[in-house]
Amino acid sequence: MIDTCINIVEVFRTVHGSVSQCDKTNSYILEFGDITNSFRATDFIDFTKRVNSIDLVKMILSSSSVTDVAVLMPPYAERCFVLTLTDTLNLKELLSGAKFNLHLNSIICECLRPHLYSI
Amino acid sequence: MKDLLRLRTSLSEEIELLLNEQIKAEAYSSAVYLAMSSYCNRNGFDHSAGYLEKQSNEERGHMLKIFKYVNDLGGRAISPEVTNIPQEFESFKTVFELSLQQEIKVTGQLNRIADQCIRLKDYTTFEFIQWFLKEQIEEEYVARRILELFDLIGEEGTGRWQIDKQIPKVSYGESTDEE
Repeated sequence: MIDTCINIVEVFRTVHGSVSQCDKTNSYILEFGDITNSFRATDFIDFTKRVNSIDLVKMILSSSSVTDVAVLMPPYAERCFVLTLTDTLNLKELLSGAKFNLHLNSIICECLRPHLYSI
Repeated sequence: MKDLLRLRTSLSEEIELLLNEQIKAEAYSSAVYLAMSSYCNRNGFDHSAGYLEKQSNEERGHMLKIFKYVNDLGGRAISPEVTNIPQEFESFKTVFELSLQQEIKVTGQLNRIADQCIRLKDYTTFEFIQWFLKEQIEEEYVARRILELFDLIGEEGTGRWQIDKQIPKVSYGESTDEE
C-alpha cells in the first residue's frame, strides 16, 4: 500500500490507473492512461463530480461525432483528458473506488481521533 | 494516512450539495420576485412592485448568506445558473398565489437540509439553518395575509387598487431582521 516515498499512499488502483495521496503536499495523484496529474483535495472532488456528470447514455445514443469523446481539462494541468466511452467508464470506476476509500479513511480517522488525542 | 477530505472542509459532500441547491433556489426566488415586480409595475400596481422588489433583494440576501457560509467552511459555493423565469402572470392575484407557493417550497427545502444535518450530525449547519427556518415563518405568514386581502377587500371596483395599497403594510410581528 505504501510507496517507496513514505508520503505517498496508494488510495485505489484498477488495471487502468491509480489514485494516490501525498501527505506531504496534501494532494491526490491520478494516473490514468498516459496522464499523471496532481490535484488539490477540492479540485479532486470537483474533477470526480465532472467525470460522474458525463452523460454516458448521450454518448451511446448520439450519432454525432462530437459526443464520441468527452474532453476534461483538470485544473492547473497542461494536458487534458480525452475520454472515449470505455475510458469514461474506467475512469468513473477508478474515481468511485478512490472516493469510497477516502470516505472510509475519513470515518476511520473520526473513530480514532478521540483515542489519538486522549491522555 | 491524512484525512485530506476533512482538511478541505468540515462540510460533507451531501450538505454542500444541498446548500448549493438552496443557493440556487434562493436565486430563483429572487429572480421570480423581480419578474413579478416588473409585471406589477407594468400593470399599475406600484406599491406591490416596490414590495416585490424588496422581496427580491431579501431573497438575494438569503442566497449570499448561504453562499458565504459554504465558502467560509472551506466548501465550494457555486454561483447558480438561473433560468426559466416566468415573465408574465395570469392576474394580479396569481402573482401572490405563486409567491406563497414559492415560500412553501423553500420551507420544504430548508426542512430537508435540517433533516439531513441531523442525520449526518452536522450541528454547525443545523444551527445556521435555524435562522432561515425562523425567517420562513415570517415569509409564509406575510404571503398568506396578502392573499387573504384579495378575499377581504375583493377585486371588484377599486378593490385591486386598495389591495395594492395595503400590500406593503402587511408585516409579521416577530421579525428575524436582527442579524
